[in-house]
Amino acid sequence: MLTTFRGVQDRLNATPHLIRLGRLFSETVLIEIDGQEVYLTFDRGRLAEVTEGPSRKTPWRFALRTDAEALAEFWQARPRPGFHDIFGLVKIGRGRIDGDILCLVKNLRFFKEIMALPRAGQEGAA
Amino acid sequence: MSFEPITGRYLTVTIAGAPRRIYIEEAGAGRPVLCLHTAGADTRQWRHLMNDAAVTEGNRLIAFDMPWHGKSLPPEGWESREYLLTTEAYIETVLAVVGGMGLDRPVLAGCSMGGRIALQLAALHPDRFSGFIAIEASDFQPAWYDIDWFHRPDAHGGEMGAALVSANISPHAPPVERWNTLWMFMQSGPGVFRGDLSFYTRDDSLIARLGRIDTGKTPVHLLVGAYDLTCTPEDARRTAEAIPGATLAVMEELGHFPMSEHPEGFRPFFLDALARMPRPRAAAA
Repeated sequence: MLTTFRGVQDRLNATPHLIRLGRLFSETVLIEIDGQEVYLTFDRGRLAEVTEGPSRKTPWRFALRTDAEALAEFWQARPRPGFHDIFGLVKIGRGRIDGDILCLVKNLRFFKEIMALPRAGQEGAA
Repeated sequence: MSFEPITGRYLTVTIAGAPRRIYIEEAGAGRPVLCLHTAGADTRQWRHLMNDAAVTEGNRLIAFDMPWHGKSLPPEGWESREYLLTTEAYIETVLAVVGGMGLDRPVLAGCSMGGRIALQLAALHPDRFSGFIAIEASDFQPAWYDIDWFHRPDAHGGEMGAALVSANISPHAPPVERWNTLWMFMQSGPGVFRGDLSFYTRDDSLIARLGRIDTGKTPVHLLVGAYDLTCTPEDARRTAEAIPGATLAVMEELGHFPMSEHPEGFRPFFLDALARMPRPRAAAA
């Protein structure tokens, strides 16, 4: 999973419109997949660091917790209903969002587009 | 190059004892079909169907911007009022447009909050309509989000609202129409989406009224997209089962804004819905 998010890092940092969308976003986000932690540290829209947990010392602003199977479906070009959006994962009981939800909502388009970068068919979409 | 068949005009009607200048678009001729947009949006959601000759053949499609939405201005004094849509005000507005335009028992087609009010009108004012097409409509949906997110001084409510409702758009929707659909939410006036959601997520008065809808006199057909997280197929099914005689179609590849996000995919379902609606006596003569 670390490799996937390193790929997200490369894609994001090469995508000017996403960096522009996230230019006020300098936070750390926790992604937890089947209990395995990955910390995404953003700096003014760029993904500065991708680090593997577990860590009890890394503060995070909000967290998305899900499972690998759900995330694999989420990253299909046309996911099944419920798997097509991070809030869909929550709705169908395959995801949980914790922490500063308002911070997430203020940066929702940015975060959703970051999370969708590994989606099949997204290659070259930027 | 040629103009589209859609024409737009303004009509001033009286709502809550005061004038409201309403923007109305229409296309086609024949049986009137009054179309209601979703929360936080406007008549542009219906433009594809209004430009579709197969839909307008024998049907006069009419859509209007609710006050505060699109090109219908808010009422005088809005600057010091909190916009909170209510069932009563919504019903009064729809009936004022029906009366103001002199429509004889139109079919009423509404999406999301428009579908909700269509079902309220089916229960409370069936004599004013010939049938009801309730799209992404259900008895009641409490909010799983905080509606106050969408009206605050430190963030753009429209952009946040669009990012939230994108969860309800199907991945089968063409990207251009996904983004056109979201643009309308981004353009929504300050506090308007929140005020619409207040109606949609807090008023549960429809639940007790569903059983009184007489589909023998005015048919009710519900349409729901499988990718709709707000009004799920389960929500629509529960609602349809509470209305004796109501019919339901689940649209496997569509979401919460079918006429706007994926007009080609929605077209056959809407044509089928129209075919289920009776032709009013005056129009059939």
